[in-house]
Amino acid sequence: MAQETEVREEEMQREYRNVGKPVTRIEGAGKVTGETIYADDMQLPRMLHAKVLGSPYAHARIKSIDGSAARQHPGVEAVFTPADLPEYKKNFSNRRGVIFPDEEVLFYGQPVAAVLASDPHVAEEALALIKVEYEALPPVVDPITAMEESSPLVRSPLGDVDRSEERGHVTVGVEQEEAEGKPSNIASQMNFKRGDVEAGFEQADVVVEHTWRSAVVHQSYIEPHSTVADYDASGELSVWTSTQAPFYIRDELSQTLGLPENKIRVTATEVGGGFGGKIYLQELMVAALAMAVRRPVKYIMSRKEDMLAATPAPQAVIDLKTSMTRDGKLTALKSRVVYDSGAFPGAPMLPGCLLVGGYYKCENLDIQGYEVLTNKVSVGALRAPGAHNVTFAIESHMDMMARELGLDPIEVRLKNAVEEGDPLPSGQPYPRIGLKQCLEAIAESEVWGRRNRERGTGNRGVGLAVGGWLGGLQPASAIVCLNSDGTINVTVGSADITGTNTSFAQITAEVLNVPLEMVNVTTGDTRTAPYAGMSAGSKTTYTVGRAVKLAAEDARQQMLEIAAKRFEAAPKELEMADGVVRLNGSDEKTLTFQRLGRLSTNFAAPFPAVVGRGAITTRKMAPGFTAQAAEVEVDTDTGEVTVLGFAVAQDAGFAINPLSVEGQMQGGASQGLGIALSEEMMYDSEGRLLNGNLLDYRMPTTRDLPPIEAIIVEVPSEEGPYGARIVGEPSIVAGAAAVGNAIADAIGVHLTDAPFTPERVLRALGKL
Amino acid sequence: MRTFEYHAPTSLNEAISLLQEHGEAARPLAGGTDLVVQMKEKATKFAAPSHIVSLLRVPELSGVSFSESEGLRIGAGATMSQVADSPIIRERYRAIAEGAALVGSIQTMNMATVGGNLCNAAPSADIAPPLLAFEAEAVIVGPSGRRKLALEEFFLGPGKTALAADELLAEVRVPLPPPGMGSAYDRHTPRKQMDIAVVGVAAALTMAGERIERARVALGAVAPTPVRAPQAEAALEGQAPSDELFARAADVSAAECSPIADLRGSAEFRRHIVRVMTKRMLREALDRARSG
Ligand SMILES: Cc1cc2nc3c(=O)[nH]c(=O)nc-3n(C[C@H](O)[C@H](O)[C@H](O)COP(=O)(O)OP(=O)(O)OC[C@H]3O[C@@H](n4cnc5c(N)ncnc54)[C@H](O)[C@@H]3O)c2cc1C
Repeated sequence: MAQETEVREEEMQREYRNVGKPVTRIEGAGKVTGETIYADDMQLPRMLHAKVLGSPYAHARIKSIDGSAARQHPGVEAVFTPADLPEYKKNFSNRRGVIFPDEEVLFYGQPVAAVLASDPHVAEEALALIKVEYEALPPVVDPITAMEESSPLVRSPLGDVDRSEERGHVTVGVEQEEAEGKPSNIASQMNFKRGDVEAGFEQADVVVEHTWRSAVVHQSYIEPHSTVADYDASGELSVWTSTQAPFYIRDELSQTLGLPENKIRVTATEVGGGFGGKIYLQELMVAALAMAVRRPVKYIMSRKEDMLAATPAPQAVIDLKTSMTRDGKLTALKSRVVYDSGAFPGAPMLPGCLLVGGYYKCENLDIQGYEVLTNKVSVGALRAPGAHNVTFAIESHMDMMARELGLDPIEVRLKNAVEEGDPLPSGQPYPRIGLKQCLEAIAESEVWGRRNRERGTGNRGVGLAVGGWLGGLQPASAIVCLNSDGTINVTVGSADITGTNTSFAQITAEVLNVPLEMVNVTTGDTRTAPYAGMSAGSKTTYTVGRAVKLAAEDARQQMLEIAAKRFEAAPKELEMADGVVRLNGSDEKTLTFQRLGRLSTNFAAPFPAVVGRGAITTRKMAPGFTAQAAEVEVDTDTGEVTVLGFAVAQDAGFAINPLSVEGQMQGGASQGLGIALSEEMMYDSEGRLLNGNLLDYRMPTTRDLPPIEAIIVEVPSEEGPYGARIVGEPSIVAGAAAVGNAIADAIGVHLTDAPFTPERVLRALGKL
Repeated sequence: MRTFEYHAPTSLNEAISLLQEHGEAARPLAGGTDLVVQMKEKATKFAAPSHIVSLLRVPELSGVSFSESEGLRIGAGATMSQVADSPIIRERYRAIAEGAALVGSIQTMNMATVGGNLCNAAPSADIAPPLLAFEAEAVIVGPSGRRKLALEEFFLGPGKTALAADELLAEVRVPLPPPGMGSAYDRHTPRKQMDIAVVGVAAALTMAGERIERARVALGAVAPTPVRAPQAEAALEGQAPSDELFARAADVSAAECSPIADLRGSAEFRRHIVRVMTKRMLREALDRARSG
């Protein structure tokens, strides 16, 4: 393997030909023309379709389940109630550790039984024939009442909680206190303290205290959860699934089903949107059923099932008290951060607690986090899980305090913004970050430029907010091979959900100094690909990209060595460009990649095949920050908020593919606007989801979204390839806060509950 | 979805006899933008049909036509796109074109029919308030022939119409608008498109000089069916238009409707929006009446 640091310094000097250039996503054409093969497109011989029966209660005891009538239904091949499932290692404390509950149902829509048939419609019809006797138990729906001592328990007490999935999204080496002692609905809690908050409030000239609520929101990927599994005669389990985390699924299935990891092949099929929600969910059920019937089984969630029983992102209730001196110095921050985890632990309380006090220098902090169980579907990650909830609170406060003191919102933020070396609430120091640079960039945006011009005209307002994400860390590896015709194959184990394979092609082409077309990147399955962590926590380019770069450098070195031997020269005297290796300045001493390929692959070839290998681990975060500005118009009669313009400045470290980076910034910002304006899962007092469809769960349409100005900021990370840092997630974080601040600029009131629906706007205006 | 038999009759008579033959087990299918969704979601409005009678090839139901003597005829099978794009409707029946143009997306409008919108009988159906404001009539065909019914009497409740199981809505007839009439329809939705009316308001004003000779106000999504607002209409007729008058009429229409609270809005919010939108639609209708 080449010396990483040496090469790094060398490359800083160079003009790049591939990285840093906008490239359309290699897999994009297939997606827009409909040619891409998704899990649901797979047809295997003798395949059965699974349909799942969901609980009509949010909390109940199953007294009996009788599948006999469903079994008699013509066309039904098998019915699985809890008693019919094959042996597996159950863990009732984790959502993914249990296929069907043995006894206690914990949320509305929780799968309790399944039917298999060759015809999916037959399987669906037969569901109605399964007889389940329930004894309804009191559901606990609201997280704040769930915390009260007098609240009924959401469920029987938890055993060991596995938090490995959450660590894939954010890896910061801080533990939370798991619940112990007297049973309560608080699954875990944590506290960060620094200085003396009461003294801090004393010193200040303005103190602001409010409670901020955000809703349960759904990732709403276009493709619902989809899985096909097969178990063959040799005892090998194959799983094709729409996931961001093939190796994670392999490891979990291995432990749960008792199969060795080398007998499990998980293929991440093309993911039709994941956003953190497609890690590991129904794969265990599909695999277990396929093993039980020894036929391939396919399970595709309907939209409704996906909304009822996948893993949306949590609501949170944030109590926040902050204070500032007249000159704009933040003196104290006290917060109670409550995340509603649903029926199983897994809420992003930890990142919430880190970020609520993580954007600004503040000597006095007291942050208390709670992860609370309720009888709702359990939550998962959604792009920077937990970050938007707390950002809404702290960024609204920064604006409120600045307004009371008559200070400029950008100046106030710049004055307090964290930079390299400043501690997170946990005490860990930040590495090099670009928060200030993002603020400076957003100040130059067109949208922010309209702040003073448009103010006071027709209920228009402009506001801004910052946001950030710390990111996940996992080892990664890659292989780069030279083919006999001189083209290059790259193999990785990471699912490509954001265009990462295109960036890997750029990195490889850069290292080998060839046109992009000479490189092809494949995501292998867990039996053929080298290991990669889950494509979550924004870490894929940061970690796998670095491994690809090392692998390409290794391949390059091997090619140079072959050429050096041919020319009887030292590798140092050679140059590599456009698919040709030549002795410095020579026209004769040249070897094409094709020739090198032949020399290392032909019968009795003189040289071994060129196989570059790259493997890394990293324990260094490369947090990504953003500053975002919104311009809104509020119809004060109907309460409608129209976002007229939106700008995102984000630190990408180094944008390997600026087009992808902009796409991530705009996509995440659109989701942030959905959280701000209209996305909200609604539950009745019995814990039943009222809007499990995309009509009443409102994602913004193209007509709800303004043009989004994307401003890429580049403050290089210390370890990422070419300085790249985490990119995918930060863009979602600041939308609600920025829009809320813009609304306040327009109408003089901050809304404390997101989304900002017309009814809430009218109530804030005192018109209802 | 459950299995079903699919029929594709090519005449109105054939369609009616199929409905007669299969009774409650049959369901007519127009654009399918309500029906297919409901079948998939197992909506409880009706039992899963075992016979689907497609109306796509029934020529008697299609098209839009107009004559100065008879007024407007909209076939039940006319699509929202056809209605929204019809020059005569855009010119003389503006509110109807506006209602049709709001239905879903372009793809939805190309499939969704006027008949389907009315027969699905959602209180929020966007084509209903404008048709009520123009005092449209439903033409119903069954085994015993044709009958006509004022559209107001066609709706009986959410999802319920005056149609018998073996009857079809054939067309709607809309009288010729008097000279000096202006109309407007709009709705309130949380999202800018692909949404369902939380409140829909249609207004039609006929001016005689500086007085309102005839006023029609119709509301969607604030009662079990799309409804007229007769008290608001009475408050307007014979009066000279003004902001105060419109505000008063808007208060009356907000008071006389009977909204429910659901996940799309509280009753209080809906009443407020009825007030705001009634005012806005009246102003718009007046401007249009004045500018001819
Ligand atoms: C994405 C989307 C967006 C939508 N947006 C809107 C919107 O903005 N506003 C709105 O009002 N609606 C909306 N809808 C609902 C729907 O599109 C309309 O109600 C449409 O007009 C229904 O017409 P159709 O031809 O598709 O009816 P179908 O679904 O075919 O039929 C609807 C019902 O009417 C019955 N039926 C149809 N024709 C006749 C007939 N001639 N005689 C007797 N019975 C009949 C059917 O049996 C069925 O019960 C939307 C639907 C979708 C899927």
